[in-house]
Amino acid sequence: MSDFFSPSWASSVRAALTAGPSEQVRAGKLQEYWDFFDLVKSIYPASWALGCRDLPGLSSAAYLFVRWGGGSVTECRIIGPDEPLSATYVLGMDYQDWRALHEGYDPQRTVMYRKILLEEGNLLEFFKAIYFFVESLAVIGSVPGVYPDTLLLAGHVRA
Amino acid sequence: MTERKSPTAVLREGPRALSDDQVREIEDSALAEVLHVDIDDVIEYVHKDLKSLPDFTTLYRKYLKQRWDVYDLDFSQDQVDWREKMTEEERQSFIAVASGFHHGERQVEIELPVFMIGASEECKLHIAAQIEDEARHTVFFDRFYREVVGLEGDDIMAVLDASFPWVSETFVAPFGLLAYQADELRLHPYDERARVRYGTTYFLWIEGVLALSVMKVTLSYARWRGFLPAYYTGFTATCRDESRHVQGGMRYLQDAVRKDPTMINEIHDTLRTILAVSGVVSRRVYYEPLGWTDDEVRVLFFQQLRRKLNDVGIGLSPDLEDLLQKVQPVLAGG
Repeated sequence: MSDFFSPSWASSVRAALTAGPSEQVRAGKLQEYWDFFDLVKSIYPASWALGCRDLPGLSSAAYLFVRWGGGSVTECRIIGPDEPLSATYVLGMDYQDWRALHEGYDPQRTVMYRKILLEEGNLLEFFKAIYFFVESLAVIGSVPGVYPDTLLLAGHVRA
Repeated sequence: MTERKSPTAVLREGPRALSDDQVREIEDSALAEVLHVDIDDVIEYVHKDLKSLPDFTTLYRKYLKQRWDVYDLDFSQDQVDWREKMTEEERQSFIAVASGFHHGERQVEIELPVFMIGASEECKLHIAAQIEDEARHTVFFDRFYREVVGLEGDDIMAVLDASFPWVSETFVAPFGLLAYQADELRLHPYDERARVRYGTTYFLWIEGVLALSVMKVTLSYARWRGFLPAYYTGFTATCRDESRHVQGGMRYLQDAVRKDPTMINEIHDTLRTILAVSGVVSRRVYYEPLGWTDDEVRVLFFQQLRRKLNDVGIGLSPDLEDLLQKVQPVLAGG
């Protein structure tokens, strides 16, 4: 399993976003909702830089950069603290909230409760694709990863 | 609750004038007397002053007279109605609609304080009162879900967690947008354009359209069936509170556009985003057990939006008129 916010984890995220929500997830919502999701995905021209603040071991935020085009992910990689940041929408979330999302916290409430926040980009344009973003956030949250404080805790227990 | 007209009868009646006695009954009723007030009259009352909007000090004085104690409500008969008189289909439909409000009241409570920072001193009084109203409405739903529906939890958030499975996935569109717009105001509290965009989402769409429509659906059901007297009383009193909120919000938007006519563009841009995502549903809510059809709910939404815009004198651009014709907004909660 890849380390959270590592290059190999970003590769897994790309594969998961390309595949999209699972059949089980799709079965829980109406087809017309997914038709809208698929329509947005097919024409979405933007990129996201999804930041993780307080990532253990880093002094500043790291970003997962996702670029969409032609209905698929054209670029998905980790941008380190020292690299220039350029994306249509830059969002940020604390490490603990990323971890909570991975452990099953609801992605809709992650937005609504302002755990993830828009730091740069046109807010009204961003929300025209909000269902696409929330479902994609759920997909990203479901990608397996090793979280740094899990390792620290495990190391502590072993010691 | 002696009158038992159909929940949707008002859709065919259209706008009507309230008599002085009806207005007095709505404005002056103590909490216990609100049980006898017709919800259709209260919704009509919301619109009564939209053409000549009251100032914020007047709204604050109304608040001082109309505030009520949420702990005075006795839900014991509601428990009996819920468990023994309502059918399972009625309960499921009711909770599917009411859960949007359970969460919506919490959202409009916590997202409002930032709007006060850039407001006039008189408007600050009104907003302070509104925050207290919204907190009381949050407690009202917390009590209803605990004491009537039977959800358990150690605190308010635990009960919200328990009702969240009934909240539609599309709820994030208006309430997530409001949360992000509130964050924009947190960073730029005196940005008048950001305030108008926030006001369009909060006061025009969420309170003026979503909230009043959802209130109408559950309250007209309760009145029609003669069920849930404490819910009817508390939520009708909530609707009376909302009349002040909607009038204050429309006053703010109207003043902003009169002061700077280009502000209409901010209202239009916000409505463009809202309407772009409002025609989408992620799960089917069955309104029929509450006396409504999907089409009737849709008509109710359009009526509420049109009346607010017409009464306040806010026109729509041709592309928005076109979008409004195409989309079919459905109940998202609020």
